Amino acid sequence: MVGLLPSINFIGFQDRLSRELIAAWAIAKKDVIIYYLRPGTIVGGVLFPLFMFLAFTAGKLGTATALIPGLVGITTLFSASSIEPVSIPIERRTATFDRLLAAPISLNALVLGESLSGLLYSVVIALIVVVAALLILATSIVSIFPILVGILLSSLCFATMGTLFAAYPTESPGDIISMVNVVRFPLIFISGVFIPLATLPAVGQMIAYVSPLTYANDLIQGGYNGKMTFNPFIDVAMLVVFILIFQLVANLLYKRFND
Amino acid sequence: MQAIEVSHLVKKFGDATAVNDISFSVAAGETFGFLGPNGAGKTTTIRMLTGISSPTSGMAKIFGHDIVHETVAARQSMGIVSETSNVYTDLTGWQNMMLAAQLYRIGRSERDKNATELLKRFELYERRGDDVHGYSKGMQRRLTIAMGLVNRPRLLFLDEPTSGLDVESNLIIRDMISDLIKEGVTVFLTTHNIEEANVLCDRVAIIEKGHIAAIDAPERLKKTIQSVQSIEVSFDSSSPTRLDELRQLSTVNNARKEGDKFKLFTEDPSAVIDGVMAYAHTHNTRVTSITTLGPSLEDVFVKLTGLHRSGGGITAID
Ligand SMILES: Nc1ncnc2c1ncn2[C@@H]1O[C@H](COP(=O)(O)OP(=O)(O)OP(=O)(O)O)[C@@H](O)[C@H]1O
Ligand SMILES: [Mg+2]
Repeated sequence: MVGLLPSINFIGFQDRLSRELIAAWAIAKKDVIIYYLRPGTIVGGVLFPLFMFLAFTAGKLGTATALIPGLVGITTLFSASSIEPVSIPIERRTATFDRLLAAPISLNALVLGESLSGLLYSVVIALIVVVAALLILATSIVSIFPILVGILLSSLCFATMGTLFAAYPTESPGDIISMVNVVRFPLIFISGVFIPLATLPAVGQMIAYVSPLTYANDLIQGGYNGKMTFNPFIDVAMLVVFILIFQLVANLLYKRFND
Repeated sequence: MQAIEVSHLVKKFGDATAVNDISFSVAAGETFGFLGPNGAGKTTTIRMLTGISSPTSGMAKIFGHDIVHETVAARQSMGIVSETSNVYTDLTGWQNMMLAAQLYRIGRSERDKNATELLKRFELYERRGDDVHGYSKGMQRRLTIAMGLVNRPRLLFLDEPTSGLDVESNLIIRDMISDLIKEGVTVFLTTHNIEEANVLCDRVAIIEKGHIAAIDAPERLKKTIQSVQSIEVSFDSSSPTRLDELRQLSTVNNARKEGDKFKLFTEDPSAVIDGVMAYAHTHNTRVTSITTLGPSLEDVFVKLTGLHRSGGGITAID
């Protein structure tokens, strides 16, 4: 490993990095054009948190504002992980995915590019929820900054998770969506979103610590009402760690399934 | 430096061996054909050479870069046109070109220039703003090739560029390939089409069941198979038993009927001509035409891959 260090050429590295980022952005942009600039996608994305909201408040608007922070977290979870599990199997079917696999870029850039489109979609939908709640329910906000950081990191985290699941070599989006759902639904209940962490049984709390949504939710709750379970830096660090783990595992899986 | 250098390349899928220990090299500027029936391993070979799929064993280098260990460097100088027209049908022709160029990190002005030039060359420029949904099959194929050329590759992989296209699209594509060859681009082409391989390629590898059965210039391949020289003959009258009778002539290895002509395969054409003349005399018919033919690439192919001919087309024995 020591021998590797002197051989890193900084200019070459910068050059390589900019190449990778340009390619990643090109990959993301194509999904933006193909998938979101369709009338149904954004509307559908907004309907999901709306139905969640109506289901949980069950018409009692008194508790409504208390639900908004949790709703924002869940929205990022579901919207960020809803693009790649659909787009990648379709790209396998049409063989356009081969084009990306054969490009002069690393698998890391490919994974990042794919995830960026989920990230952007999720940020847009989450911001619509934040703004709508502000206008309609006049939710109070202690500090917007942790909310934005929480939305951004959790969107990237769950988008990368979606890309990771989509590594499974199938041409049918349904296969990936069902796998993703096995993870997504339980996360809602064990991440302190609606059920406070303190009231969870010990096992539940243990699981909560390995859920990225726990930390995203903590940041967002902090922004809305100032009450946090963890130090905000811990939340950010944990989300970054999850992003890196998902990115790494996705990279390995794409390599592994790439026959 | 060789454009492509392949040594002992093997690809297994489970127990099945798709590519079985192939070795060859392609010089820079050469046009190299990979000719083989369905399932021979042509696409699998291209996928390994372009780094999409990793070899089970063996090694491949592209302009000196190992495709497994220096994948990005090896790919930078190549263009890839895959077997299916893998274009984004929800994007316009222009957007497809831009995406392809950005994956190779081509700057905006060069991107615009290359895309404009290529779309014009492939007669797609007028339709550049339309979604690819609305393109015909031939147009989608042409767009796929244009996308493969957007980075001005030194080495172009073409996986069955013309299969299933009409005459016009076919001509546009073949003309383009000839132009590239003149410009010094190295071309690796797979095809079932023997005529195409014969016309375009400097050298042809005949691949069957993952093995390379022969590899040489089309003309030399034909010469190596002297036993498939043939005589083409027609008579002024017809007879239902004629084909069988001609097969009985000495030194005729095989015979088949092609329209009103008979094709007799032999190693000794002049003996067969004498035999045919004597046959005509004893059967009270006249020879209206007789020609000696060297072996065609198709004959070589049939001979080497163990295919037999039925009617006008080629069918596999199994
Ligand atoms: N991903 C895969 N998994 C399992 N087997 C495969 C896979 N890809 C190819 N094969 C097998 O490998 C063999 C070679 O296939 P390949 O696609 O390379 O043939 P080809 O020469 O390109 O044929 P065609 O002319 O039909 O395109 C075939 O038997 C095919 O079934
Ligand atoms: Mg093929």
